[in-house]
Amino acid sequence: MTAPAPDGALVRFAREVGATGPVAVEGGRTRWDTGGDPAAGTRLLRAPAGIVEHRPEEMTVRVRAGTAVDELHDELAATGQRTALPRRGGTVGGALAVGENDVCVLGRGRVRDAVLQVRYVSADGVVVTGGGPTVKNVTGYDLPRLLVGSLGTLGLLAEAILRTNPVPAVSRWFRAEGAVPFKAFDALFRPSAVLWNGCTTWVELEGHAADVEAERRALVAATAVAGGWSECDAGPVLPPYRWSLRPSELRRLHEAAPGGPGAAGGAGGPGEAGEAGGHGASIGEPSGLGELVASIGVGTVFSSRPAPPRPPSPALAALAARVKHEFDPGGRLNPGRSVDPAGSVSPR
Amino acid sequence: MRGRPVSADPLVAALCAVLGRDRVRDDAAERALLAHDASVFAGGAAGPVCFPTSTEEVRAVVRIAASHGSAVVPRGAGTGLAGGAIPLGRPVVVVTTKMNRILEVDRDDRIAWVEPGVVNLDLTKHLRPLGFHFAPDPSSQQACTIGGNVANNSGGPHCLAYGVTSQHVLALDVVLPDGEVVRLGGLDAEPPGYDLRGAFIGGEGTLGIATRIAVRITKNPPAVRTLLLAFDSIEEAATVVGRVVAAGIVPAAMEVMDRGITVAVENFVHAGYPVDAGAVLLVEVDGPEAGTALDAERIAEIGRAGGATSVRTAAGEEERALLWRGRKTAFGAVAQIAPSYYLHDTVVPRAALPQVLRAVYEIAERHGLMVVNVFHAGDGNLHPLLLFDPREPGTLARVHAAGREIVEVSLAAGGVLSGEHGVGVEKRDYMPLQFSDVDLDHQNRLRRAFDPACRANPGKVLPSGHSCADIQSLERLPAGVWA
Amino acid sequence: MTTLGLDPEELGRCVQCGLCLPSCPTFRVTGDESQSPRGRIALMRAVEHEGAPLSAPVRRSFETCVQCRGCETACPSGVPFGHLMARTREVIVQSGLSTSRPVRAGYAALGRPRLVRAAVRAAALGQRLHAVPASAGLPPLPLRQAPLRRTGSDAHLFTGCVMDACQRDVHRDTVRVLAAAGFGVEPTGDRVPCCGALHAHAGLGRAARKLAAGAVRALGDGLPVLVNSAGCGAAMKEYGRLLGSDAARELAGRVFDVSEWLAPRMANLPEVRPLDLRVAVQDPCHLRHVQRVHAATRAVLAPFVRELLELDDDGLCCGAGGSYAFFERREARAIRARKLASIARSAPDVVASANPGCSMHLAAAGVPAVHPMTLVARALGAQGGARGAQGAQGRLGS
Ligand SMILES: Cc1cc2nc3c(=O)[nH]c(=O)nc-3n(C[C@H](O)[C@H](O)[C@H](O)COP(=O)(O)OP(=O)(O)OC[C@H]3O[C@@H](n4cnc5c(N)ncnc54)[C@H](O)[C@@H]3O)c2cc1C
Ligand code: SF4
Ligand code: SF4
Repeated sequence: MTAPAPDGALVRFAREVGATGPVAVEGGRTRWDTGGDPAAGTRLLRAPAGIVEHRPEEMTVRVRAGTAVDELHDELAATGQRTALPRRGGTVGGALAVGENDVCVLGRGRVRDAVLQVRYVSADGVVVTGGGPTVKNVTGYDLPRLLVGSLGTLGLLAEAILRTNPVPAVSRWFRAEGAVPFKAFDALFRPSAVLWNGCTTWVELEGHAADVEAERRALVAATAVAGGWSECDAGPVLPPYRWSLRPSELRRLHEAAPGGPGAAGGAGGPGEAGEAGGHGASIGEPSGLGELVASIGVGTVFSSRPAPPRPPSPALAALAARVKHEFDPGGRLNPGRSVDPAGSVSPR
Repeated sequence: MRGRPVSADPLVAALCAVLGRDRVRDDAAERALLAHDASVFAGGAAGPVCFPTSTEEVRAVVRIAASHGSAVVPRGAGTGLAGGAIPLGRPVVVVTTKMNRILEVDRDDRIAWVEPGVVNLDLTKHLRPLGFHFAPDPSSQQACTIGGNVANNSGGPHCLAYGVTSQHVLALDVVLPDGEVVRLGGLDAEPPGYDLRGAFIGGEGTLGIATRIAVRITKNPPAVRTLLLAFDSIEEAATVVGRVVAAGIVPAAMEVMDRGITVAVENFVHAGYPVDAGAVLLVEVDGPEAGTALDAERIAEIGRAGGATSVRTAAGEEERALLWRGRKTAFGAVAQIAPSYYLHDTVVPRAALPQVLRAVYEIAERHGLMVVNVFHAGDGNLHPLLLFDPREPGTLARVHAAGREIVEVSLAAGGVLSGEHGVGVEKRDYMPLQFSDVDLDHQNRLRRAFDPACRANPGKVLPSGHSCADIQSLERLPAGVWA
Repeated sequence: MTTLGLDPEELGRCVQCGLCLPSCPTFRVTGDESQSPRGRIALMRAVEHEGAPLSAPVRRSFETCVQCRGCETACPSGVPFGHLMARTREVIVQSGLSTSRPVRAGYAALGRPRLVRAAVRAAALGQRLHAVPASAGLPPLPLRQAPLRRTGSDAHLFTGCVMDACQRDVHRDTVRVLAAAGFGVEPTGDRVPCCGALHAHAGLGRAARKLAAGAVRALGDGLPVLVNSAGCGAAMKEYGRLLGSDAARELAGRVFDVSEWLAPRMANLPEVRPLDLRVAVQDPCHLRHVQRVHAATRAVLAPFVRELLELDDDGLCCGAGGSYAFFERREARAIRARKLASIARSAPDVVASANPGCSMHLAAAGVPAVHPMTLVARALGAQGGARGAQGAQGRLGS
């Protein structure tokens, strides 16, 4: 009664991966240099593709890693559903390996939260299943979350079961000049996105038509901008680099606007927390982000300048190294790539 | 009365030196009490019991335990149902009930930093004046701790729309089993590195001890509507659940109770549950006003089309609270039917609910046991309660046999072993039913990365044959508990 | 080997779910499982079924229980914790393992009203002479009190032991309020010296039953018995179980908390200008968790004060617990600290408490605690220009 055995395509993929020699998977190459290029001599493979099973009434879809995200979303749209994966080219496996959220993460959910089950090929060339097929599951350790964002350094993703969500009845974008984006964010119950580039604010509202209209009115009332809010087709074009900030840090960005947006550091939580070290949310010295689009309430800043690396604390680095060593003792999976000195540097 | 002499046991003496004698308990009574949690498993054996109050103290306790070759078992309120907090092999028990401060609430970041011993409902009450709450709401929320929620990745009725604990925890300070302190995750949008926060959550205390937790706080919805639908049969109720989801509605919660449990609950809370119905479906929708009303109406329609004999909408907050009180005290209320129960926790695809429920009743009947069902229907999370009298010889064996069959039926229907209670000792030996050896080996690698020396809560989650599993079998009752 | 002789069905009802833990004051302040209802039940079971000895830590676990019965309200399984604990205490006392002789002598005195009054007068005198240290935790005690007089025969007013000695003014206020509603009462006075609640809590079962039987005999006339002390009321409502006789059940059936009795008769009271006070209601455990009539306090108070405030601690015990505050001082103060914090958060002018033990315990910490009847009497008195409610004035000033 073990989970259904991996089928032919996965077994073939596992055989291709084998048990020796440096190896990596290429997807759509839309985020290829995230975490660094794989070392020279690394064998490049493609993951199996195809949507295996979409169960709209369960709100789940089983999809192979090599499937294009666009193809997946087109298929889901036929039954009025979507997933949290960002739609910007590339493959499902790539999107999971990188783990970045859609710019409208508030409405679509986080990528990590969407993965119910993963199947990956391990460093010794066998198919491993983590997680389970149902929308709720706490059986055993959460390997799916570990794999999301691991850049293929712990296992090569072959297949995943993702949670789907209904596409809301209505999605509308609005923009205004000179609105205080935080006021917009606080006034709304559940915006899908509140974006701000230093002068313009964009808001995406989704849901029942009447709710969206009510939210729009709340938005207008809360912000009182001279030019008013106008509807638009989409949000802004995003600069290529992602900075990961605390939502509260964006306030400081805002205070510094419009001249030269800058952000100050200030990591972590209270007291003792600092001592724990690790990934504080700081972006280091107040430094120009260049041209930017900030996601209010989320903390992501899309910038024309790369984010500085944020080295983990020694204890955390040691733990991460133990994890890597356990899953890939020989270092053959995506050699040269690392999840750690972050600050994603790929063009969008 | 607390003026006990310093213990001759060097481990106890070392612990006392750090925590003081007041916060180290080594008497037989306290140790015997902490050999249990809310599950039916007996046979745990606790070593010294510690009550640290800070990360530093937890770190010291963990280091002392390690240097004396002793394991550590974290414990919150002991409401776990899978035996996760049951100490095996006399480890040091680290109780978090004195680490119960809400440290900080930040509305810009929409987070609260809490210590692990903060009671789930206490946090939500604390946030109420600010218009926020902590979304995971296990039925035990009045008692269970947030540390326990993290360790079990707990869910609750409202996790259907809001997601389980993992979706509401941004960062954790963790004392690793070797005494190192790390912060996992972060308050920023996409913390770099492996998602070790995600990996830690649901680790059932085998990956370290969480000492500070940054949880997401969620805005209270502007509108809430609660409906109570009555059906002639539980299959009808379950079918309607599937249809609501298929219609593209994700309610905040969808809970089903069968007749047996409805009657017991009604006797306890007097909420006006229909006691003659075959099953009731409690549905809650929330969000902006207009859509909430629309969704409620559509759910009522789908319900009526699916055979609902009555549809009642809670008139106000008081009625709503009463209906929920009924649901949340359901497990306890069964005491009116039988002195003890064994609560199962499996998940099946929603579409399989009617068929699996039929099988559950059939299994119970075959084993001569009474079963009642109250469950998170929206996400297919079954909670059959097998009722029994522990004083009747031989019943527990029948209960376990029936339990195993329920697990097998759920897995055969494409389900999983546990939806929210975790594996603990309860389902450890069922793990091979869901995972292959290779799968389990990979889970074990994660565990080993956090705890190479098997010092954290040994004997849990992974079955025999994997590291840390073979500490002590539960069947062997330790001698001299009361000595 | 000791057995507790507990009803196996009652003891078996606990399913170890732990839902009661946060409602238990001693668990709240210690975080110890052995200081929780679930832990105490598990220890009772261990003693009863597994031959565990009544060792010092086990006894300690039982002795630190306030017997507030907050766990009963929280328990969805209907565990009758109060009965289990009372019986357990009794066995401990019978086995000679607890309750020292002087303490027992003290309890014995409670059945002798003149002795109690003398003791209270002595303590009051001591306070005046500063011979009783403030650390004794006693509120200011009255030196001398005028006798209570019969005002009619609609009901008995149960006057009790300690309360009559310390807070006769509350009885006086109660009589006044009832009179304003058109009811005359007969104070029970020395006819029923003590309800026996404190004895039952202390495990002095025989003494408790003796006092209860005396009350049943003295109050056999079928009239309602009104009680303004939540602890006494709770005990008397449980006489049926305590004595197991029909007469006891009959009496228990006509015992009412005075607010409970008055609430449906509020129309009888004149409409007056409410006191300009924000009043926080502190529910005595034995009103809320045993009698479960705490809603009546609000119904009775509401028309007579500017604003009623709820405390945010869900009726968690204040730590008074009859004689608990005297014998378990450290625990009682730790528990009270939580209550004080909750009171501070609601920032009332006064706190209304329908139990003398609670109000004395709170008053000893500087809380302006008054009986609801005192507030009502004062509102009525202030309006009618009568010489009303000196007591409230005095207490509010303290
Ligand atoms: C009546 C009832 C209803 C319930 N309903 C639900 C429900 O609806 N949904 C649900 O998910 N669960 C439910 N549960 C199960 C249980 O309440 C949850 O699992 C809860 O999260 C456990 O919290 P606790 O504080 O009691 O943890 P404990 O039982 O004390 O411990 C649970 C596990 O967490 C570990 N642990 C505790 N603290 C820490 C820490 N600080 N760091 C690391 N590990 C730690 C322990 O070692 C153990 O493995 C219910 C239980 C009962 C009795
Ligand atoms: S009676 Fe009060 S103190 Fe005693 S166990 Fe119950 S809640 Fe705790
Ligand atoms: S006394 Fe009641 S609430 Fe407490 S553990 Fe037992 S059954 Fe649960």
